[in-house]
Amino acid sequence: MADFAQPPTDGGARRLLAHWGRNFQGLRSPLARYGLAVVSVAVALSLSLLLQYYQFRDAAVPALALAIAVTTWYAGNGPAVMAIVLSSLSFDYFFTEPYYSLAITPRDLPYFFIFVIWGLTVAGFSAVRRRVEENLRHAQEELAKHAVDLQAANKELEAFAYSVSHDLRAPLRHVVGYAELLQKHAAAALDEKAGRYLKTILEASKRMGNLIDDLLGFSRIGRADTNKIAVNLEQLVAQVVTELAQDVSGRDIAWKIGALPVCYGDRAMLKMVFMNLLSNAVKFTRQRSRAEIEVGCSQQENNQIKIFVRDNGAGFDMRYVTKLFGVFQRLHLPEEFEGTGIGLATVQRIVHRHGGRCWAEGAVDQGATFYLTLPKV
Amino acid sequence: MEKFRRILLVEDDARDVELTLTALEDYKLANEVVVCRDGQEALDYLYGRGKFSDRVGETPAVILLDLKLPKVDGLEVLEQIKSDERLRMIPVVMLTSSHEERDMMRSYKLGVNAYVVKPVDFHEFINAVKELGMFWAVINEPPPRSA
Repeated sequence: MADFAQPPTDGGARRLLAHWGRNFQGLRSPLARYGLAVVSVAVALSLSLLLQYYQFRDAAVPALALAIAVTTWYAGNGPAVMAIVLSSLSFDYFFTEPYYSLAITPRDLPYFFIFVIWGLTVAGFSAVRRRVEENLRHAQEELAKHAVDLQAANKELEAFAYSVSHDLRAPLRHVVGYAELLQKHAAAALDEKAGRYLKTILEASKRMGNLIDDLLGFSRIGRADTNKIAVNLEQLVAQVVTELAQDVSGRDIAWKIGALPVCYGDRAMLKMVFMNLLSNAVKFTRQRSRAEIEVGCSQQENNQIKIFVRDNGAGFDMRYVTKLFGVFQRLHLPEEFEGTGIGLATVQRIVHRHGGRCWAEGAVDQGATFYLTLPKV
Repeated sequence: MEKFRRILLVEDDARDVELTLTALEDYKLANEVVVCRDGQEALDYLYGRGKFSDRVGETPAVILLDLKLPKVDGLEVLEQIKSDERLRMIPVVMLTSSHEERDMMRSYKLGVNAYVVKPVDFHEFINAVKELGMFWAVINEPPPRSA
Protein backbone atom coordinates (compact mmCIF):
# COMPACT_ATOMS: atom_id res chain seq x y z
CA MET A 1 0.00 0.00 0.00
CA ALA A 2 2.72 2.45 0.98
CA ASP A 3 4.32 1.83 -2.39
CA PHE A 4 1.42 3.50 -4.12
CA ALA A 5 1.74 6.62 -1.99
CA GLN A 6 5.34 7.14 -3.06
CA PRO A 7 6.08 9.35 -6.03
CA PRO A 8 7.12 7.18 -8.95
CA THR A 9 10.67 8.56 -9.08
CA ASP A 10 11.92 6.81 -5.97
CA GLY A 11 9.56 3.87 -6.25
CA GLY A 12 12.29 1.70 -7.76
CA ALA A 13 14.85 2.50 -5.09
CA ARG A 14 12.26 1.97 -2.40
CA ARG A 15 11.26 -1.36 -3.81
CA LEU A 16 14.90 -2.40 -4.01
CA LEU A 17 15.40 -1.41 -0.38
CA ALA A 18 12.26 -3.24 0.64
CA HIS A 19 13.43 -6.31 -1.24
CA TRP A 20 16.82 -6.14 0.42
CA GLY A 21 15.14 -5.65 3.80
CA ARG A 22 12.84 -8.63 3.25
CA ASN A 23 15.75 -10.88 2.34
CA PHE A 24 17.69 -9.92 5.44
CA GLN A 25 14.63 -10.36 7.60
CA GLY A 26 14.72 -13.87 6.28
CA LEU A 27 17.83 -14.45 8.42
CA ARG A 28 16.64 -17.25 10.61
CA SER A 29 19.65 -19.37 11.44
CA PRO A 30 21.14 -18.35 14.84
CA LEU A 31 24.67 -18.48 13.42
CA ALA A 32 23.87 -15.86 10.79
CA ARG A 33 21.99 -13.66 13.25
CA TYR A 34 24.71 -13.66 15.93
CA GLY A 35 27.32 -13.50 13.21
CA LEU A 36 25.74 -10.27 12.04
CA ALA A 37 26.10 -8.86 15.57
CA VAL A 38 29.81 -9.71 15.67
CA VAL A 39 30.50 -8.50 12.13
CA SER A 40 28.66 -5.20 12.47
CA VAL A 41 30.33 -4.38 15.78
CA ALA A 42 33.71 -5.36 14.32
CA VAL A 43 33.17 -3.18 11.27
CA ALA A 44 32.05 -0.23 13.43
CA LEU A 45 35.02 -0.73 15.70
CA SER A 46 37.58 -0.88 12.91
CA LEU A 47 36.05 2.16 11.32
CA SER A 48 36.23 4.08 14.60
CA LEU A 49 39.85 3.02 15.18
CA LEU A 50 40.77 4.01 11.65
CA LEU A 51 39.14 7.42 12.09
CA GLN A 52 40.82 7.85 15.43
CA TYR A 53 44.16 7.11 13.83
CA TYR A 54 43.53 10.11 11.57
CA GLN A 55 42.65 12.21 14.60
CA PHE A 56 38.86 12.06 14.20
CA ARG A 57 37.84 11.63 17.83
CA ASP A 58 34.40 10.57 19.12
CA ALA A 59 33.42 8.62 16.02
CA ALA A 60 33.12 5.48 18.11
CA VAL A 61 29.76 6.30 19.78
CA PRO A 62 27.70 6.89 16.60
CA ALA A 63 29.42 4.06 14.74
CA LEU A 64 28.77 1.51 17.47
CA ALA A 65 25.21 2.80 17.92
CA LEU A 66 24.65 2.26 14.21
CA ALA A 67 26.03 -1.28 14.51
CA ILE A 68 23.58 -1.96 17.38
CA ALA A 69 20.66 -0.51 15.40
CA VAL A 70 21.49 -2.56 12.31
CA THR A 71 21.83 -5.74 14.33
CA THR A 72 18.53 -5.19 16.15
CA TRP A 73 16.75 -4.39 12.90
CA TYR A 74 17.91 -7.38 10.93
CA ALA A 75 18.68 -10.04 13.53
CA GLY A 76 16.29 -9.50 16.44
CA ASN A 77 16.62 -9.18 20.20
CA GLY A 78 19.19 -11.83 21.14
CA PRO A 79 21.86 -10.56 18.75
CA ALA A 80 20.96 -7.00 19.82
CA VAL A 81 21.96 -7.79 23.41
CA MET A 82 25.12 -9.41 22.14
CA ALA A 83 25.91 -6.34 20.03
CA ILE A 84 25.38 -4.09 23.06
CA VAL A 85 27.66 -6.23 25.21
CA LEU A 86 30.33 -6.41 22.49
CA SER A 87 30.23 -2.69 21.78
CA SER A 88 30.29 -1.83 25.49
CA LEU A 89 33.32 -4.06 25.99
CA SER A 90 35.16 -2.71 22.99
CA PHE A 91 34.21 0.85 23.95
CA ASP A 92 35.63 0.19 27.39
CA TYR A 93 38.74 -1.47 25.95
CA PHE A 94 39.60 1.02 23.24
CA PHE A 95 37.99 4.35 24.06
CA THR A 96 37.92 4.84 27.84
CA GLU A 97 40.96 5.35 30.05
CA PRO A 98 42.94 3.36 30.78
CA TYR A 99 43.15 2.43 27.09
CA TYR A 100 43.63 -1.19 26.03
CA SER A 101 42.31 -2.55 29.30
CA LEU A 102 38.87 -3.63 30.49
CA ALA A 103 39.40 -1.72 33.72
CA ILE A 104 37.54 1.56 34.10
CA THR A 105 38.65 4.54 36.10
CA PRO A 106 35.91 5.94 38.37
CA ARG A 107 36.14 9.21 36.42
CA ASP A 108 35.15 7.39 33.20
CA LEU A 109 32.37 5.36 34.77
CA PRO A 110 29.48 7.82 34.01
CA TYR A 111 30.66 8.18 30.39
CA PHE A 112 30.71 4.40 30.05
CA PHE A 113 27.25 4.03 31.58
CA ILE A 114 25.85 6.68 29.32
CA PHE A 115 27.28 4.78 26.38
CA VAL A 116 25.54 1.56 27.52
CA ILE A 117 22.24 3.39 28.06
CA TRP A 118 22.61 5.02 24.66
CA GLY A 119 23.15 1.59 23.09
CA LEU A 120 20.10 0.19 24.86
CA THR A 121 17.96 3.13 23.74
CA VAL A 122 19.03 2.76 20.14
CA ALA A 123 18.33 -0.97 20.25
CA GLY A 124 14.94 -0.29 21.87
CA PHE A 125 13.89 2.18 19.19
CA SER A 126 15.10 -0.08 16.47
CA ALA A 127 13.18 -3.05 17.90
CA VAL A 128 9.95 -1.07 18.28
CA ARG A 129 10.23 0.34 14.78
CA ARG A 130 10.95 -3.14 13.52
CA ARG A 131 7.85 -4.54 15.22
CA VAL A 132 5.67 -1.78 13.78
CA GLU A 133 7.06 -2.51 10.35
CA GLU A 134 6.41 -6.20 10.79
CA ASN A 135 2.82 -5.64 11.89
CA LEU A 136 2.28 -3.40 8.94
CA ARG A 137 3.68 -6.02 6.62
CA HIS A 138 1.39 -8.65 8.13
CA ALA A 139 -1.58 -6.35 7.77
CA GLN A 140 -0.67 -5.73 4.16
CA GLU A 141 -0.34 -9.43 3.44
CA GLU A 142 -3.68 -10.04 5.13
CA LEU A 143 -5.25 -7.27 3.10
CA ALA A 144 -3.83 -8.64 -0.13
CA LYS A 145 -5.20 -12.07 0.75
CA HIS A 146 -8.64 -10.61 1.45
CA ALA A 147 -8.55 -8.74 -1.84
CA VAL A 148 -7.79 -11.97 -3.67
CA ASP A 149 -10.58 -13.78 -1.81
CA LEU A 150 -12.99 -10.99 -2.59
CA GLN A 151 -12.08 -11.05 -6.23
CA ALA A 152 -12.65 -14.77 -6.37
CA ALA A 153 -16.01 -14.41 -4.62
CA ASN A 154 -17.00 -11.68 -7.05
CA LYS A 155 -16.04 -13.80 -10.02
CA GLU A 156 -18.05 -16.68 -8.67
CA LEU A 157 -21.02 -14.42 -8.16
CA GLU A 158 -20.74 -13.15 -11.68
CA ALA A 159 -20.57 -16.68 -13.06
CA PHE A 160 -23.61 -17.51 -10.97
CA ALA A 161 -25.62 -14.58 -12.26
CA TYR A 162 -24.54 -15.42 -15.76
CA SER A 163 -25.69 -19.00 -15.53
CA VAL A 164 -28.97 -17.91 -13.95
CA SER A 165 -29.47 -15.56 -16.84
CA HIS A 166 -28.82 -18.27 -19.41
CA ASP A 167 -30.05 -21.45 -17.92
CA LEU A 168 -32.95 -20.51 -15.71
CA ARG A 169 -34.83 -18.47 -18.24
CA ALA A 170 -34.91 -21.14 -20.94
CA PRO A 171 -37.02 -23.73 -19.07
CA LEU A 172 -39.23 -20.96 -17.80
CA ARG A 173 -39.86 -19.80 -21.33
CA HIS A 174 -40.80 -23.34 -22.24
CA VAL A 175 -43.26 -23.62 -19.37
CA VAL A 176 -44.92 -20.39 -20.47
CA GLY A 177 -44.74 -21.26 -24.16
CA TYR A 178 -46.24 -24.72 -23.91
CA ALA A 179 -48.88 -23.63 -21.42
CA GLU A 180 -49.91 -20.94 -23.91
CA LEU A 181 -49.97 -23.46 -26.72
CA LEU A 182 -52.09 -25.78 -24.58
CA GLN A 183 -54.46 -22.95 -23.82
CA LYS A 184 -54.73 -22.17 -27.50
CA HIS A 185 -55.28 -25.71 -28.70
CA ALA A 186 -57.37 -27.14 -25.89
CA ALA A 187 -59.28 -24.13 -24.61
CA ALA A 188 -62.59 -25.56 -25.85
CA ALA A 189 -62.00 -28.96 -24.25
CA LEU A 190 -61.07 -27.57 -20.82
CA ASP A 191 -63.64 -27.02 -18.10
CA GLU A 192 -63.58 -23.91 -15.97
CA LYS A 193 -61.40 -25.43 -13.27
CA ALA A 194 -58.78 -26.69 -15.72
CA GLY A 195 -58.79 -23.30 -17.40
CA ARG A 196 -58.10 -21.64 -14.08
CA TYR A 197 -55.24 -24.05 -13.33
CA LEU A 198 -53.69 -23.25 -16.66
CA LYS A 199 -54.08 -19.55 -16.04
CA THR A 200 -52.41 -19.94 -12.65
CA ILE A 201 -49.47 -21.77 -14.23
CA LEU A 202 -49.07 -18.92 -16.67
CA GLU A 203 -49.32 -16.22 -14.03
CA ALA A 204 -46.89 -17.96 -11.72
CA SER A 205 -44.34 -18.46 -14.48
CA LYS A 206 -44.63 -14.87 -15.54
CA ARG A 207 -44.05 -13.81 -11.96
CA MET A 208 -40.99 -16.02 -11.78
CA GLY A 209 -39.74 -14.49 -14.99
CA ASN A 210 -40.13 -11.03 -13.49
CA LEU A 211 -38.34 -12.10 -10.32
CA ILE A 212 -35.41 -13.52 -12.27
CA ASP A 213 -35.16 -10.41 -14.42
CA ASP A 214 -35.32 -8.13 -11.38
CA LEU A 215 -32.72 -10.14 -9.52
CA LEU A 216 -30.38 -10.10 -12.50
CA GLY A 217 -30.89 -6.38 -12.95
CA PHE A 218 -30.14 -5.87 -9.27
CA SER A 219 -26.95 -7.89 -9.40
CA ARG A 220 -25.90 -6.04 -12.54
CA ILE A 221 -26.07 -2.73 -10.67
CA GLY A 222 -23.53 -4.01 -8.20
CA ARG A 223 -21.16 -5.13 -10.95
CA ALA A 224 -21.59 -2.43 -13.59
CA ASP A 225 -19.06 0.38 -13.82
CA THR A 226 -20.40 3.77 -12.85
CA ASN A 227 -19.89 6.62 -15.23
CA LYS A 228 -20.05 9.67 -12.99
CA ILE A 229 -20.80 13.11 -14.38
CA ALA A 230 -22.59 16.24 -13.22
CA VAL A 231 -26.30 15.43 -13.30
CA ASN A 232 -29.03 18.04 -13.18
CA LEU A 233 -31.49 16.40 -10.83
CA GLU A 234 -34.29 18.83 -11.59
CA GLN A 235 -34.22 17.85 -15.26
CA LEU A 236 -33.89 14.20 -14.39
CA VAL A 237 -36.85 14.20 -12.02
CA ALA A 238 -38.96 16.19 -14.51
CA GLN A 239 -38.19 13.56 -17.14
CA VAL A 240 -39.15 10.72 -14.82
CA VAL A 241 -42.39 12.48 -13.86
CA THR A 242 -43.29 12.96 -17.53
CA GLU A 243 -42.71 9.28 -18.22
CA LEU A 244 -44.74 8.22 -15.20
CA ALA A 245 -47.58 10.65 -15.86
CA GLN A 246 -48.30 8.94 -19.19
CA ASP A 247 -49.25 5.73 -17.38
CA VAL A 248 -51.51 7.38 -14.80
CA SER A 249 -53.37 9.93 -16.91
CA GLY A 250 -56.69 9.01 -15.27
CA ARG A 251 -55.59 9.89 -11.75
CA ASP A 252 -55.45 13.13 -9.84
CA ILE A 253 -51.84 13.54 -8.79
CA ALA A 254 -50.45 16.78 -7.45
CA TRP A 255 -46.73 16.80 -8.25
CA LYS A 256 -44.71 19.25 -6.21
CA ILE A 257 -41.15 19.33 -7.45
CA GLY A 258 -38.92 21.72 -5.53
CA ALA A 259 -35.66 23.23 -6.70
CA LEU A 260 -33.13 20.42 -7.03
CA PRO A 261 -29.38 20.88 -7.25
CA VAL A 262 -26.87 19.43 -9.67
CA CYS A 263 -25.19 16.37 -8.23
CA TYR A 264 -22.34 14.12 -9.21
CA GLY A 265 -23.29 10.63 -10.29
CA ASP A 266 -24.17 8.09 -12.95
CA ARG A 267 -27.14 9.49 -14.85
CA ALA A 268 -28.73 6.18 -15.85
CA MET A 269 -28.45 4.81 -12.33
CA LEU A 270 -29.82 7.97 -10.72
CA LYS A 271 -32.71 7.87 -13.13
CA MET A 272 -33.41 4.35 -11.93
CA VAL A 273 -33.40 5.66 -8.34
CA PHE A 274 -36.02 8.33 -9.04
CA MET A 275 -37.99 6.02 -11.31
CA ASN A 276 -38.27 3.53 -8.44
CA LEU A 277 -39.04 6.09 -5.75
CA LEU A 278 -41.59 8.03 -7.80
CA SER A 279 -43.33 5.00 -9.26
CA ASN A 280 -43.59 3.66 -5.72
CA ALA A 281 -45.13 6.94 -4.64
CA VAL A 282 -47.61 6.71 -7.51
CA LYS A 283 -48.39 3.09 -6.70
CA PHE A 284 -48.92 3.52 -2.98
CA THR A 285 -51.15 6.59 -3.33
CA ARG A 286 -53.56 4.68 -5.57
CA GLN A 287 -56.31 4.69 -2.95
CA ARG A 288 -56.19 8.45 -2.45
CA SER A 289 -58.68 10.56 -4.32
CA ARG A 290 -55.96 13.16 -4.69
CA ALA A 291 -52.40 11.96 -4.50
CA GLU A 292 -49.73 14.38 -3.36
CA ILE A 293 -46.16 13.61 -4.28
CA GLU A 294 -43.39 15.96 -3.33
CA VAL A 295 -39.71 15.92 -4.26
CA GLY A 296 -37.32 18.38 -2.70
CA CYS A 297 -33.85 19.06 -1.48
CA SER A 298 -33.99 19.66 2.23
CA GLN A 299 -30.44 20.64 3.11
CA GLN A 300 -26.87 20.52 2.03
CA GLU A 301 -24.04 19.60 4.32
CA ASN A 302 -20.42 18.57 4.02
CA ASN A 303 -20.43 17.99 0.26
CA GLN A 304 -23.59 15.92 0.39
CA ILE A 305 -27.05 16.92 -0.73
CA LYS A 306 -30.10 15.48 0.94
CA ILE A 307 -33.13 14.79 -1.19
CA PHE A 308 -36.54 13.61 -0.11
CA VAL A 309 -39.51 12.05 -1.86
CA ARG A 310 -42.76 12.34 0.09
CA ASP A 311 -46.21 10.95 -0.62
CA ASN A 312 -49.56 10.82 1.15
CA GLY A 313 -50.11 7.15 0.34
CA ALA A 314 -50.41 3.91 2.25
CA GLY A 315 -47.25 4.51 4.27
CA PHE A 316 -45.72 1.78 6.41
CA ASP A 317 -45.23 0.74 10.00
CA MET A 318 -41.92 2.11 11.34
CA ARG A 319 -41.41 -1.24 13.11
CA TYR A 320 -40.57 -2.77 9.73
CA VAL A 321 -38.39 0.07 8.50
CA THR A 322 -35.31 -2.17 8.51
CA LYS A 323 -36.96 -4.53 6.04
CA LEU A 324 -37.90 -1.80 3.64
CA PHE A 325 -34.67 -1.82 1.64
CA GLY A 326 -34.15 -5.60 1.61
CA VAL A 327 -34.19 -7.65 -1.59
CA PHE A 328 -37.66 -9.13 -2.26
CA GLN A 329 -38.95 -7.72 1.02
CA ARG A 330 -42.50 -6.52 0.80
CA LEU A 331 -44.68 -4.88 3.41
CA HIS A 332 -47.93 -5.30 1.49
CA LEU A 333 -49.85 -8.22 0.06
CA PRO A 334 -49.46 -8.82 -3.66
CA GLU A 335 -53.23 -8.32 -4.06
CA GLU A 336 -53.01 -4.84 -2.54
CA PHE A 337 -49.95 -3.57 -4.37
CA GLU A 338 -48.13 -5.43 -7.11
CA GLY A 339 -44.36 -5.66 -7.43
CA THR A 340 -41.48 -7.98 -6.76
CA GLY A 341 -39.92 -6.03 -3.92
CA ILE A 342 -36.65 -5.16 -5.62
CA GLY A 343 -37.19 -1.42 -6.19
CA LEU A 344 -35.98 -0.03 -2.89
CA ALA A 345 -33.13 -2.54 -2.73
CA THR A 346 -32.02 -1.19 -6.10
CA VAL A 347 -32.33 2.38 -4.82
CA GLN A 348 -30.22 1.57 -1.80
CA ARG A 349 -27.54 -0.19 -3.79
CA ILE A 350 -27.22 2.68 -6.25
CA VAL A 351 -27.12 5.29 -3.48
CA HIS A 352 -24.45 3.29 -1.65
CA ARG A 353 -22.42 3.03 -4.83
CA HIS A 354 -22.52 6.83 -4.92
CA GLY A 355 -21.24 7.04 -1.37
CA GLY A 356 -24.58 8.22 0.01
CA ARG A 357 -27.17 6.80 2.39
CA CYS A 358 -30.88 6.34 2.22
CA TRP A 359 -33.56 5.91 4.84
CA ALA A 360 -37.28 6.30 5.23
CA GLU A 361 -39.92 7.59 7.59
CA GLY A 362 -43.59 6.84 7.55
CA ALA A 363 -46.72 5.74 9.36
CA VAL A 364 -49.52 3.44 8.28
CA ASP A 365 -51.99 5.34 6.11
CA GLN A 366 -50.14 8.61 6.61
CA GLY A 367 -47.73 8.48 3.73
CA ALA A 368 -44.03 7.86 3.55
CA THR A 369 -40.92 9.97 3.07
CA PHE A 370 -37.76 8.59 1.53
CA TYR A 371 -34.48 10.37 2.04
CA LEU A 372 -31.23 9.95 0.21
CA THR A 373 -27.91 11.73 0.17
CA LEU A 374 -25.76 12.17 -2.91
CA PRO A 375 -22.38 13.81 -3.47
CA LYS A 376 -22.46 17.45 -4.52
CA VAL A 377 -20.66 18.52 -7.69
CA MET B 1 -42.12 -15.25 -58.22
CA GLU B 2 -38.65 -15.52 -56.90
CA LYS B 3 -38.11 -18.36 -54.50
CA PHE B 4 -37.63 -17.16 -50.93
CA ARG B 5 -34.29 -17.78 -49.45
CA ARG B 6 -33.86 -19.98 -46.45
CA ILE B 7 -33.69 -19.02 -42.83
CA LEU B 8 -31.01 -20.85 -40.88
CA LEU B 9 -32.00 -21.46 -37.27
CA VAL B 10 -29.17 -22.60 -34.99
CA GLU B 11 -30.67 -23.76 -31.70
CA ASP B 12 -29.77 -26.70 -29.49
CA ASP B 13 -32.94 -26.86 -27.43
CA ALA B 14 -35.65 -28.93 -29.14
CA ARG B 15 -38.40 -27.03 -27.33
CA ASP B 16 -37.05 -23.69 -28.40
CA VAL B 17 -36.85 -25.01 -31.96
CA GLU B 18 -40.48 -26.05 -31.81
CA LEU B 19 -41.61 -22.74 -30.31
CA THR B 20 -39.61 -20.75 -32.84
CA LEU B 21 -40.93 -22.80 -35.75
CA THR B 22 -44.48 -22.41 -34.40
CA ALA B 23 -44.00 -18.68 -34.34
CA LEU B 24 -42.62 -18.62 -37.87
CA GLU B 25 -45.38 -20.92 -39.15
CA ASP B 26 -48.01 -18.74 -37.52
CA TYR B 27 -46.90 -16.02 -39.79
CA LYS B 28 -46.94 -18.30 -42.81
CA LEU B 29 -43.52 -17.23 -43.91
CA ALA B 30 -42.81 -18.79 -47.25
CA ASN B 31 -39.15 -19.22 -46.44
CA GLU B 32 -37.87 -22.66 -45.72
CA VAL B 33 -36.32 -22.92 -42.27
CA VAL B 34 -33.23 -25.04 -41.85
CA VAL B 35 -32.52 -26.10 -38.30
CA CYS B 36 -29.03 -26.88 -37.04
CA ARG B 37 -28.66 -28.18 -33.52
CA ASP B 38 -25.11 -27.05 -32.74
CA GLY B 39 -22.43 -24.69 -33.93
CA GLN B 40 -20.48 -27.37 -35.74
CA GLU B 41 -23.54 -28.38 -37.75
CA ALA B 42 -24.25 -24.75 -38.60
CA LEU B 43 -20.72 -24.26 -39.93
CA ASP B 44 -20.97 -27.54 -41.85
CA TYR B 45 -24.16 -26.26 -43.40
CA LEU B 46 -22.67 -22.91 -44.34
CA TYR B 47 -19.56 -24.47 -45.83
CA GLY B 48 -21.51 -27.29 -47.50
CA ARG B 49 -19.42 -30.01 -45.92
CA GLY B 50 -20.13 -33.16 -43.90
CA LYS B 51 -23.75 -34.17 -44.21
CA PHE B 52 -24.47 -30.96 -46.12
CA SER B 53 -21.91 -31.66 -48.84
CA ASP B 54 -24.65 -31.95 -51.46
CA ARG B 55 -26.28 -28.66 -50.50
CA VAL B 56 -26.83 -26.22 -53.33
CA GLY B 57 -24.55 -23.25 -53.04
CA GLU B 58 -26.94 -20.67 -51.75
CA THR B 59 -26.48 -18.61 -48.60
CA PRO B 60 -29.42 -18.19 -46.23
CA ALA B 61 -31.30 -14.88 -46.01
CA VAL B 62 -30.58 -14.69 -42.31
CA ILE B 63 -29.05 -16.79 -39.56
CA LEU B 64 -30.88 -16.91 -36.23
CA LEU B 65 -28.13 -17.94 -33.86
CA ASP B 66 -28.34 -19.06 -30.24
CA LEU B 67 -25.45 -18.07 -28.01
CA LYS B 68 -25.03 -21.15 -25.90
CA LEU B 69 -24.53 -24.15 -28.12
CA PRO B 70 -22.84 -27.50 -27.72
CA LYS B 71 -19.42 -28.07 -29.36
CA VAL B 72 -18.94 -24.71 -31.09
CA ASP B 73 -20.82 -21.92 -29.31
CA GLY B 74 -22.70 -19.07 -30.92
CA LEU B 75 -19.96 -16.50 -30.53
CA GLU B 76 -17.45 -18.80 -32.18
CA VAL B 77 -19.83 -19.44 -35.07
CA LEU B 78 -20.37 -15.69 -35.38
CA GLU B 79 -16.64 -15.02 -35.33
CA GLN B 80 -16.07 -17.65 -38.02
CA ILE B 81 -18.85 -16.24 -40.23
CA LYS B 82 -17.75 -12.64 -39.90
CA SER B 83 -14.10 -13.43 -40.57
CA ASP B 84 -14.88 -15.36 -43.75
CA GLU B 85 -14.93 -13.29 -46.91
CA ARG B 86 -17.69 -15.47 -48.45
CA LEU B 87 -19.98 -15.58 -45.41
CA ARG B 88 -19.54 -12.24 -43.73
CA MET B 89 -22.36 -10.60 -45.69
CA ILE B 90 -25.03 -12.96 -44.37
CA PRO B 91 -27.07 -11.14 -41.73
CA VAL B 92 -26.67 -12.83 -38.35
CA VAL B 93 -29.19 -12.29 -35.55
CA MET B 94 -28.37 -13.44 -32.05
CA LEU B 95 -31.47 -15.00 -30.56
CA THR B 96 -30.57 -15.77 -27.00
CA SER B 97 -31.70 -15.95 -23.39
CA SER B 98 -28.77 -13.85 -22.26
CA HIS B 99 -29.39 -10.34 -21.12
CA GLU B 100 -25.76 -9.98 -20.11
CA GLU B 101 -23.98 -6.89 -21.27
CA ARG B 102 -20.75 -8.70 -22.03
CA ASP B 103 -22.51 -11.13 -24.37
CA MET B 104 -24.05 -8.19 -26.21
CA MET B 105 -20.73 -6.35 -26.32
CA ARG B 106 -18.86 -9.35 -27.63
CA SER B 107 -21.54 -10.08 -30.22
CA TYR B 108 -21.56 -6.52 -31.51
CA LYS B 109 -17.78 -6.39 -31.52
CA LEU B 110 -17.77 -9.49 -33.67
CA GLY B 111 -20.15 -7.73 -36.06
CA VAL B 112 -23.57 -9.20 -35.29
CA ASN B 113 -26.41 -7.57 -37.24
CA ALA B 114 -28.96 -7.72 -34.44
CA TYR B 115 -29.18 -8.98 -30.88
CA VAL B 116 -32.54 -10.21 -29.59
CA VAL B 117 -33.16 -11.43 -26.05
CA LYS B 118 -35.81 -14.13 -26.13
CA PRO B 119 -38.69 -12.78 -24.05
CA VAL B 120 -40.01 -15.09 -21.34
CA ASP B 121 -43.56 -14.12 -22.20
CA PHE B 122 -44.83 -16.39 -24.96
CA HIS B 123 -46.76 -13.73 -26.88
CA GLU B 124 -43.77 -11.45 -26.84
CA PHE B 125 -41.59 -14.34 -27.93
CA ILE B 126 -43.90 -15.22 -30.81
CA ASN B 127 -44.05 -11.58 -31.83
CA ALA B 128 -40.29 -11.14 -31.62
CA VAL B 129 -39.66 -14.21 -33.78
CA LYS B 130 -42.36 -13.22 -36.26
CA GLU B 131 -41.01 -9.76 -36.63
CA LEU B 132 -37.49 -11.05 -36.96
CA GLY B 133 -38.57 -13.44 -39.68
CA MET B 134 -40.60 -10.76 -41.38
CA PHE B 135 -37.88 -8.17 -41.28
CA TRP B 136 -34.87 -10.22 -42.21
CA ALA B 137 -36.47 -12.65 -44.62
CA VAL B 138 -38.98 -10.40 -46.36
CA ILE B 139 -38.44 -6.69 -45.78
CA ASN B 140 -34.67 -6.64 -45.70
CA GLU B 141 -32.90 -6.94 -49.03
CA PRO B 142 -30.19 -9.53 -48.45
CA PRO B 143 -26.83 -9.07 -50.11
CA PRO B 144 -26.79 -10.24 -53.73
CA ARG B 145 -26.57 -13.98 -54.14
CA SER B 146 -23.12 -15.35 -54.13
CA ALA B 147 -22.02 -18.82 -54.97
